[in-house]
Amino acid sequence: MKLNRGRLVREMRVAWAIASKDMRTYYTRPASIMFGILFPFSLFLSFSVGRNVPVALQIPILISQTLFFASSSIGPVIIPSERMNQTFDRFLTSPVSLLTVLMGKTLAGVLYGVGISVIPILVGVAFFGSHVASLEALAACMGLSALGFSAMGIAFASMPGQSPGQVMMPLNFVRIPLLFISGVYIPVKELPPWAQATSFLSPLTHTIELARYALGGETFFGPALNIIVLAAYTALFLLVGIRFHIMNQRKE
Amino acid sequence: MQAQYAIEVSNLTKKFGDLVAVDHISFKVKKGEIFGFLGPNGAGKTTTIRMLTGISIPTEGTASIMGYDIQREPVKAKEQMGIVPDISNVYNELSAWDNLIFTAKLYDVPKAYRESRAEELLKMFGLHDRSREKLQGFSRGMKRRVCIAMALMNQSSILFLDEPTSGLDVQSVIVIRETIRRLNEQGLTIFLTTHNLEEASQMCDRIAIINHGRIAAIDTPEKLKRTFESVQSVEIAFEDPPPNAAEDLGRLPRVSEVVKSGDKFRLYTDDPPSVLTSTWNYVQSRNLRLVTVNTLGPSLEDVFVKLTGIRPSVASHEAGTRSSEETKRERGRRRLNQ
Repeated sequence: MKLNRGRLVREMRVAWAIASKDMRTYYTRPASIMFGILFPFSLFLSFSVGRNVPVALQIPILISQTLFFASSSIGPVIIPSERMNQTFDRFLTSPVSLLTVLMGKTLAGVLYGVGISVIPILVGVAFFGSHVASLEALAACMGLSALGFSAMGIAFASMPGQSPGQVMMPLNFVRIPLLFISGVYIPVKELPPWAQATSFLSPLTHTIELARYALGGETFFGPALNIIVLAAYTALFLLVGIRFHIMNQRKE
Repeated sequence: MQAQYAIEVSNLTKKFGDLVAVDHISFKVKKGEIFGFLGPNGAGKTTTIRMLTGISIPTEGTASIMGYDIQREPVKAKEQMGIVPDISNVYNELSAWDNLIFTAKLYDVPKAYRESRAEELLKMFGLHDRSREKLQGFSRGMKRRVCIAMALMNQSSILFLDEPTSGLDVQSVIVIRETIRRLNEQGLTIFLTTHNLEEASQMCDRIAIINHGRIAAIDTPEKLKRTFESVQSVEIAFEDPPPNAAEDLGRLPRVSEVVKSGDKFRLYTDDPPSVLTSTWNYVQSRNLRLVTVNTLGPSLEDVFVKLTGIRPSVASHEAGTRSSEETKRERGRRRLNQ
């Protein structure tokens, strides 16, 4: 038991070392800034400007979009670059599990997503009258969503033989349609039943629901279900990422 | 665990679709030896190293490092090794110091020790003065030295070196070879792949020659040379070589092959005395003047050529001789670069 705890602590230290190296190396890359910051803010502005909706009600949308795009963009910048330069081999030859390596990479995406999505919260609270009704729901929303979306980016980035540009294409092919089925612009309760069922399957639905709930709004599926679905997606994406890496190791 | 051998490989196989890159190879590396792994491009050297170090999963067979199976106990096996791959996979955005410290963190080396070790290695490799500069501005040889220093951060028992001196400047080659020797004297087991047969002959305790994914021979350099006593040669240099000298010399009795190397001609034969006589007759008849005459025993290069059918100096310079495996890998890298 003592040995397992020691091993766990060691793996956590290594995951943090990987994350902090990735933060230093990749946060300021043009691809990270473009897909992680400019993209969600531009999308938000293009859909929100001119709409007759109070800004305070739109803050949860911006929080969700920044969490979604920023967190899921870091993995696709890091992993293909490292595989191209063969620096990813360093992780495969180091005495830690593949899960630890991917957790380190995921953590870099989590911190990027959380760091950027804090901005709309602060702006909303300071200038547009938003108030945090449930700090726990906000923390769960940000933590779990960032984790899930970062793991999603890692899963896409782990597909065999892809460059950063090649990863972003299929990722955006999934990310952009998710915006329209996740109750971002039309709340879930106003959708027809078939669309509500579809939106349940989207992880982004549960992020926007939790964000609305945390800022005093309503959640259609309930915060507990939102949290369970986001946690399940996190586990699923990590497993898919590991599976892809094992496939790569068999092919290389 | 007290293992008898540093590396034990049994029936190790790697297939890429229909291509068998490594074909049921088996060998053992003793603790504390420098083991050379030689072969032409695409023979399966790098694929073997990648399987031994856990980067690639074998299609068949087993490999253990200091008694730990790389597939079943990967963490323990990887704790025993340091790796220098064929490409210097350093972080160009970080300094030499940060590269070393990050590597140590991957192995969970304690802070105080990793800092003193990094200082020691940077001094050992002559990089201390530039340790805080990003590697973007470093030469290829300097990056190679950083890469080797990174492999030594965890004080491993085995060091895997894949073509460590390939394409480097003379100063870097000397530093790297001296370091390898010194580390081996301190008890480190070295697994070395190289194209440089002279390097292998001088440095390795034992050598395995791999060709088409199969081990063609394993022995000490001297024993390998003795196995091929029939491959002897006479080396001559003319003061003013006549045109078509290589063709003329190739027609002399008992000469099996002529290889021109710089201003010298090397005449392969199983009977050096009779070749010396006929060469002397040729020189007299053409009124030529000899500058050098040497009779040579078989070199490791000769053994290599005999076993693989490829002359290394040609193989390493002609891109056209690359195997489909290497070409495929290179194509993959280029695709990623686009």
